[in-house]
Amino acid sequence: MSRQAGRGTESKKMNSELFTLTYGALVTQLCKDYENDEDVNKQLDKMGYNIGVRLIEDFLARSNVGRCHDFRETADVIAKIAFKMYLGITPSITNWSPGGDEFSLILENNPLVDFVELPDNHSSLIYSNLLCGVLRGALEMVQMAVDVKFVQDTLKGDSVTEIRMKFIRRIEDNLPAGEE
Amino acid sequence: MAVCIAVIAKENYPLYIRSVPTENELKFHYTVHTSLDVVDEKISAMGKAMVDQRELYLGLLYPTEDYKVYGYVTNSKVKFVMVVDSSNTALRDNEIRSMFRKLHNSYTDIMCNPFYNPGDRIHSRAFDNMVNSMMMQVC
Repeated sequence: MSRQAGRGTESKKMNSELFTLTYGALVTQLCKDYENDEDVNKQLDKMGYNIGVRLIEDFLARSNVGRCHDFRETADVIAKIAFKMYLGITPSITNWSPGGDEFSLILENNPLVDFVELPDNHSSLIYSNLLCGVLRGALEMVQMAVDVKFVQDTLKGDSVTEIRMKFIRRIEDNLPAGEE
Repeated sequence: MAVCIAVIAKENYPLYIRSVPTENELKFHYTVHTSLDVVDEKISAMGKAMVDQRELYLGLLYPTEDYKVYGYVTNSKVKFVMVVDSSNTALRDNEIRSMFRKLHNSYTDIMCNPFYNPGDRIHSRAFDNMVNSMMMQVC
């Protein structure tokens, strides 16, 4: 790894097939280990959460983004910088709720599912649920409690993949001493 | 275009076989089965030295009265066999070649599906659609 060579927002190249297959192997192994899909979804979310709480540090160090002033700004940073940096895609942000506390990320193509076809006996599996966990974990570290879930998925026959994010509250007590 | 398309595993058992007039299925199974001998013959005829640089496309395996049988072998010894109506003279070698390449790409995608266990029969909507499109073109 060229970590010392300086961090930047530019991403290192990685073979996408290897990445997709690695994630696929992870999910199928979970499917073997757990009897029902609900447990697999939960486990993926948990793993994602653990990735998220670590990844946010890397993200903040590399991207130099400051504190976001509202949820819209957060949405922009997630879609335009974070997704670009780690997955090489830029989802579009739509469907804002009138209160401005809920929005959708539309993924035209999801690199995690490139070759995947869900078998019939896994109809309730949320294949990319790891992403939800990552987003939840990362935002929790910056004092935002959010609810993240898939509402559309190309694997289930929808034309796009849609991740719905809902802002719940600011986590005040985690503020380190000395900050506002 | 094609009337029967089959994918045969390295160990010579079928992974996928599909033919258009479904009532004659058994006949096509038989045709494909016989063609495997020709495939083996062709590969061994090429000799050891050629194996490294040989072409995957084997060309016409044999013609019968009504059909022509074409073959294609990947480097992992998976065989694709395609039976084409011989009345269809418009079909050129190049087109057959590109159809096989499409089939090969599609097969690669299936192998990359994490829910597919290598060696199982192929049950895939994407593959079905691709095969259908190749069979529909002319028929």
